[in-house]
Amino acid sequence: MGCGTGKYLKVNSQVHTLGCDYCGPLVEIARNRGCEVMVCDNLNLPFRDQGFDAIISIGVIHHFSTKQRRIRAIKEMARVLAPGGQLMIYVWAMEQKNRHFEKQDVLVPWNRAFCSGLLSESHQSWGHQCGHPMSQGYQGPGSACGCAVCFQGRCDSKRSHSMDYGPAAARTSHEDISKEDEEENGLYNNFGKSFRSWFFSRSLDESTLRKQIERARPMKITEGWANSTVSRQPSRHSSLDFHPQEPFSAKGPNLDEVFVDTTSQSHVGWLGATGASENFRGHEGGVGGGKEGSDFLDATDTRDSVTAGHASDPSARKMLKRVSAFDSTDPKPEDPSYEEEQRDAPDSRAFMRYYHVFREGELSGLLQESVSELQVLSASNDHGNWCIIAEKRGSWE
Amino acid sequence: MKLLTHNLLSSHVRGVGTRGFPLRLQATEVRINPVEFNPDFVARMIPKVEWAALVQAADTLNLAEVPKEPTEGYEHDETFLRKMHHVLLEVDVLEGTLQCPESGRLFPISRGIPNMLLNDEETET
Repeated sequence: MGCGTGKYLKVNSQVHTLGCDYCGPLVEIARNRGCEVMVCDNLNLPFRDQGFDAIISIGVIHHFSTKQRRIRAIKEMARVLAPGGQLMIYVWAMEQKNRHFEKQDVLVPWNRAFCSGLLSESHQSWGHQCGHPMSQGYQGPGSACGCAVCFQGRCDSKRSHSMDYGPAAARTSHEDISKEDEEENGLYNNFGKSFRSWFFSRSLDESTLRKQIERARPMKITEGWANSTVSRQPSRHSSLDFHPQEPFSAKGPNLDEVFVDTTSQSHVGWLGATGASENFRGHEGGVGGGKEGSDFLDATDTRDSVTAGHASDPSARKMLKRVSAFDSTDPKPEDPSYEEEQRDAPDSRAFMRYYHVFREGELSGLLQESVSELQVLSASNDHGNWCIIAEKRGSWE
Repeated sequence: MKLLTHNLLSSHVRGVGTRGFPLRLQATEVRINPVEFNPDFVARMIPKVEWAALVQAADTLNLAEVPKEPTEGYEHDETFLRKMHHVLLEVDVLEGTLQCPESGRLFPISRGIPNMLLNDEETET
């Protein structure tokens, strides 16, 4: 599930695999690599019951923006598993070695520049698409990597990443990404900025989510390759590289500051990007589930102290506000650091991707509490990710 | 799309439930894709296959007749296993449609990829 470009579809030659992803262009890439793949929705799997012996979900369910959806995704996977079949789920952990997420719900910028030029060349019929570094190794919470589909134009990446899936390539790009302090490379700059512009969000409940989807409905794209209705953000996949050399990011994100843009910019909503109207038309938003951001980070949610802290402007349809991990004072426009922040503002082509990072025990708890058809076999932490393996109970249990 | 995949697919249009299986296959472009024969694998897959759905799909593709049921002792019947290997894994539908038997909803197959996404109005939740 959430196979993306198919990184893990061929790890075991003794197993027949079927890759599924919500994102058509990613699936096309996997197909061109010779994988059996299809486009579908994790929340409504188009499979008969009990047909699969094993399912993997690597870096997928943390993109669902409500607890209900996360549970639904797991329940759907459980439904299509045969009794005795096993499910492995990998999600970002809130607890990181070098950093600590202040909140569990985060919007992470994704920049078009992260895209592979190689892909845009080979898939011109799609306009622009990315197969991107994500497929080269599971970046984990230490990076802003991910794949989002840009409906507009070609990839403007300044730098072409090899789309080879070899571990060497993964290691290389991965090391690059973790060097947050290096300025030489334009790409690192983007990453640096991205880290500084992570936005806090919150999990939504279904009714709020629906309201936002409704509001954004007129903006739904129907153009081009999207024969299918993409009414929700394609679930992003994160690929996991089992290579012993370790492509996982051991570093957490640079979260010295997480800022939200208080500028007078016009409605940004989910995209978190400045002046992103042109992109907005083509992009459903880099987050799982909603497209309209106005209520998303409403200060009315008292469960989330981040938004309650500063967002005392309920009329602001842009929920961005500066939340510093160390200093909660809002910068004033005349404050010298404010200007610096403006320069650090997310690139106008940055899309946002939603992550719900999991606390220790949260994923197991979720299964035990809401998915009784699965029995947890093991739970572990793997370089900033919580990993769980569960088995479908037989009807005799 | 392989027929083994088709055998797993079901329509999830709201209200359809188990009557969404199997999907009615219609192909306008099919390719044969050689795949290495692994008799053990095929033998293990046989009991997992929904046989009637497979027969129906093979039929619409005008494939050489697939037996109505696995023959007794199929595990050691190489001819049978090779035939099933071919039908399940080597036939690739590149262009076509999958139709929900209950609602009539059509799902496209393009460039070998079935697209099973539904509109919000059509889904269960």
